[in-house]
Amino acid sequence: MDVELLFPNKGATDLETVLKTVASCSTARPFDESMLAACADLSRRIMQDAEARRYPALMALAFWIRKAELIRLHEEFANLDRPDRILVPSGTVFHLPPRNVDTMFVYSWLLSALVGNKSIIRLSPQRSDSTNLLLRLFRDALAAAEEPARNSTVIVSYGHESAITFALTAYSDLRVIWGGDNTINEVRRASLPSHGREVIFPDRYSMAAVNINSYLALSPEERDRLADLFFNDVFWFDQLACSSPQLVAWCGEGTQARIASSDFFTRVCACARRRHYLTSAANSMQKLTFAASAILDMCVESWQRFPELTILSLATLSDFNRSHPGGGFVFEVAVNSLAGLVPSLVRKDQTLTTFGFDDTELISLVRQLNGKAIDRIVPIGQALQFGRFWDGYDLLRAFCREVYVNNSPIKTMA
Amino acid sequence: MSLEDLFQRPQFSLPQLQKEALLLSELKQLDRLHRERCEEYFRLSSIMFHGVENFGALSDLPFLPVGLFKTHSLASVPKEDVFRVLMSSGTTGQVPSKIVLDRETAQLQTLALSRIMTHVLGPQRLPMILVEQPDLIKDRTSFGARAAGLIGMMNFGREHFFALDSDLNLRLPELQDFLARHGNRPFLIFGFTFLIWSRFYEQLRETVIDLSHGILVHGGGWKKLQDQAVSATDFRRMLEESTGLKKIYNFYGMVEQVGSIFLEGEDGYLYPPNFADVIIRDPNTLDELPPGEIGAIQVVSALPRSYPGHSLLTEDLGVIHAIDSSSCGRFGKAFSVMGRIPRAELRGCSDVIAAQVN
Repeated sequence: MDVELLFPNKGATDLETVLKTVASCSTARPFDESMLAACADLSRRIMQDAEARRYPALMALAFWIRKAELIRLHEEFANLDRPDRILVPSGTVFHLPPRNVDTMFVYSWLLSALVGNKSIIRLSPQRSDSTNLLLRLFRDALAAAEEPARNSTVIVSYGHESAITFALTAYSDLRVIWGGDNTINEVRRASLPSHGREVIFPDRYSMAAVNINSYLALSPEERDRLADLFFNDVFWFDQLACSSPQLVAWCGEGTQARIASSDFFTRVCACARRRHYLTSAANSMQKLTFAASAILDMCVESWQRFPELTILSLATLSDFNRSHPGGGFVFEVAVNSLAGLVPSLVRKDQTLTTFGFDDTELISLVRQLNGKAIDRIVPIGQALQFGRFWDGYDLLRAFCREVYVNNSPIKTMA
Repeated sequence: MSLEDLFQRPQFSLPQLQKEALLLSELKQLDRLHRERCEEYFRLSSIMFHGVENFGALSDLPFLPVGLFKTHSLASVPKEDVFRVLMSSGTTGQVPSKIVLDRETAQLQTLALSRIMTHVLGPQRLPMILVEQPDLIKDRTSFGARAAGLIGMMNFGREHFFALDSDLNLRLPELQDFLARHGNRPFLIFGFTFLIWSRFYEQLRETVIDLSHGILVHGGGWKKLQDQAVSATDFRRMLEESTGLKKIYNFYGMVEQVGSIFLEGEDGYLYPPNFADVIIRDPNTLDELPPGEIGAIQVVSALPRSYPGHSLLTEDLGVIHAIDSSSCGRFGKAFSVMGRIPRAELRGCSDVIAAQVN
């Protein structure tokens, strides 16, 4: 069986050696000094690397794991501890990150490693340039780290061999699968030990909601700024990240929606041109075919087409099927209020990026949904900003076991 | 009246301006007809093209992306008038296009093809070699693209000889018999480009054989040959060197517009017949591009009546080289096809393991 070991050693190897390498790793105390230092070091290495600076996603990662942020995470973690509840590592965590979001393996690893777990990371043999670059910096940082951080992580790469997934899963206390749904179903054929747990990230759908009045009250500069933020949310990963918005809901008075929409998307396209975003010819044709198909299948009222972005306006979400081609394609719908979305939202809906609502409206939306949809509400511009709260999990806690300690004496019956 | 006009005049003889005027009036009528009879076409032309009806030029006409015929069955005739359903062959795993034909459209297709082919073949039916296997055309109600093309072309020949057996091997002794009977007068050879190359030429190159009176008509795309690094020029040269075959005509056509094929002239460029045309568009802006610039090929044709396929944006790349100035006496647009628009992978959280396992 072909496995390539990428860390701690590098080279082709066999499954037995991989398992031995994993066995030689050890867990650490949560937020061990060596791990905090290694992460901060990785952040520094990314920021100082001339090549890495060409990739905004790597810069965002470096920023997210910079020292100040780690200290904040440590404090948040410390606040989770109670006198009768102690968070300890789960043990060995097997990460199956997505191939196409280059930075995801580090985010997935980071939260799990910080709380003290041993990590196995599986990477695809087909890796983008930026993944390889990140991998090199990651290896350098961990190789230079102190114990126990240095000896905490194994990275392997293999392709078709499900036998390897089976073996590594059998060895894991916790498995982290980044979807899509097909990957999850495929990996799930490999059973975990009976005590093993799973954190899964299936296919999701995300959308934005804009309060029309708040938008129309903005100055031209502020509107441009919002369009800029929206551009990041949509185009950073060609709109295929699960938290990238695919639908924009205009909330407020109907007649104003058209005005706001046309103003906003013109600015978004201007921003795309300014940043020289150009989709491939094939994607452009795919978007056209998808649009024609959607016009026949759903309640589409009108369309706007810019070279960068296609917008289809829906009369209602009732027959909306949530398929999407990516690469700059959004649906839009007008609703009277945020609460108007409630009947149309489904379990698959993950991130709602918003502009112009007050806290009570957002909280009331969550209360009304009562768990049937939406795991995350953040401002427009933060759709792709990864955090410990994701897909309904608090990952800091999901990567731990919680030990209950009660030492109060048994009350004797008087 | 004007479709008849376009049929009757010698093909490739109309200067572009004159042709566009005739074709435009024909296509305006077709646009109106499909709006009236095909709900989907009405909806798409209303929403995507804002219901505009007064077109000043061919390039103003609404066009449908050709891929739409893979997901939707679009018809402008009631079910009971459907006479034949065509399916694109498509490579494995792809969804085929479905095209519904009524008698009128099927007849127009036959007539159209005949107008184009007699231009290079002359009025006589010639003895014909089909570089195909005979099994392909057994089912006569539902056709794949290859079978439809084959049957369409069979009309132009007589004494049909299928040169391949059911395993696609060359029937050499029978071919030699055919040539002994017909080989010293004009005869027709028809087949798909890849089969001509891999099953005909490859097995003939070591044999001494004389095809110098043959006229080869072939089409179906260059993709597989490009993978083997065989260019159109290589194809012509090597066939001529080993068999003496000089008259070679490639054509570009698709199941979504059967009958209106674009045939190669003696100068190696493709030419639209009188009743069809090509427009090259920028794939991102969808604006029409001038000669010399590569873009997505839009094909328009005055034939499709039973389905709204008179104006389609393909997923092929092409370029117009010249208009009304060919060296082989043809008028209109001289163009060539560069093959499919290359697929580029988008990023995102994709199905990593599943994609590798399947």
